[in-house]
Amino acid sequence: MKKRMKNAGIYFAILAAIVLTSLSAPPSGKYVTKSAHISFFSHTDIEDISANNYAVIGTIDPASGDVSFSVPMQSFEFEKALMQKHYNSPDFMDTKVYPKSKFKGTITNLSEINFDKDGTYHAKLEGEMTIKDVTKKVTEAGTITVQGNSITVDAKTVIVLADYHVAFEKGKPSTNIAKSVEVTVKAKYVIE
Amino acid sequence: MKRKILKWTLLVFILGAIAAVSIFLYYWYMPHRDIQSLPVDIEITSEDLVSEYLSDPAAANQKYLQEEGDSKIIAVTGNVFSVEKDMNNQYVVYLKEPESEVGVRCTFMTSTNENAASLKTGQDVTIKGVIRSGAEYDEDLDLYEDAIIEKCDILK
Repeated sequence: MKKRMKNAGIYFAILAAIVLTSLSAPPSGKYVTKSAHISFFSHTDIEDISANNYAVIGTIDPASGDVSFSVPMQSFEFEKALMQKHYNSPDFMDTKVYPKSKFKGTITNLSEINFDKDGTYHAKLEGEMTIKDVTKKVTEAGTITVQGNSITVDAKTVIVLADYHVAFEKGKPSTNIAKSVEVTVKAKYVIE
Repeated sequence: MKRKILKWTLLVFILGAIAAVSIFLYYWYMPHRDIQSLPVDIEITSEDLVSEYLSDPAAANQKYLQEEGDSKIIAVTGNVFSVEKDMNNQYVVYLKEPESEVGVRCTFMTSTNENAASLKTGQDVTIKGVIRSGAEYDEDLDLYEDAIIEKCDILK
């Protein structure tokens, strides 16, 4: 009789545990950021141009190594208003027609990154970048810093504008903007 | 006579040069649009803005975005879900109904930042700002992207 009572207690505890875990939202185990910082920098002898965007969305799945970014293109802020107009215009990024740029890829050296242990890891990335209506294969490198429940990603890459059919044929912008621009990513993710 | 022609040519040339330089300086130092001093184009609730984008993204982009980035200035009313800071130290007020998966993220700026600090979760607020992008579901991210409003300040 006593044993029966004990068993009932165990069953109850297990049942309670199941109910409780199903009630609380199960964590997806994915790292999410909704305010990553992407900046770009273009250098020519005539002028240096830079722009900043603090509203980039990104996810990293530590189990599969999948990495995604979505960049709201009109959120890039320039020092000069005229540059911002040129950048958004149909001649350049055409942000009304293409309001977002996307990156979708995978960490290729996932086994070298331990998301459970604090530290800075070198990450290699392979994927596809979509700017305007052009999708290109890219390989990137960056660092992932694990600190408790959050991670920070730092990466730098170069984008050749002509690859994405972004080019000025003539006029001032064609001489003032470099053919390739340096893109810097800094993102702090928290686990969901 | 000859001297007179020379004088006039020189004068026209100087005036032309002054005009060219002023036009150049005007464009070079053209100020950014001051969102908060301009009139509101559209008043809407955060829920309606999101559902407009989810039901017909193309029509919504056509309505809200402008091709040189001078997109619509909107006054969006909604429920404060969270208040946090971005990497530029600007407050981001997230307007979202508690049971919804998607909302509107409103980024403040240096001059208005402190106004957002006192906002509390759960309170109703109307925020004015310029729309940068709409709400949509993204398969690769496997989550809903919120609508984004920037250069914000609190209307009421």
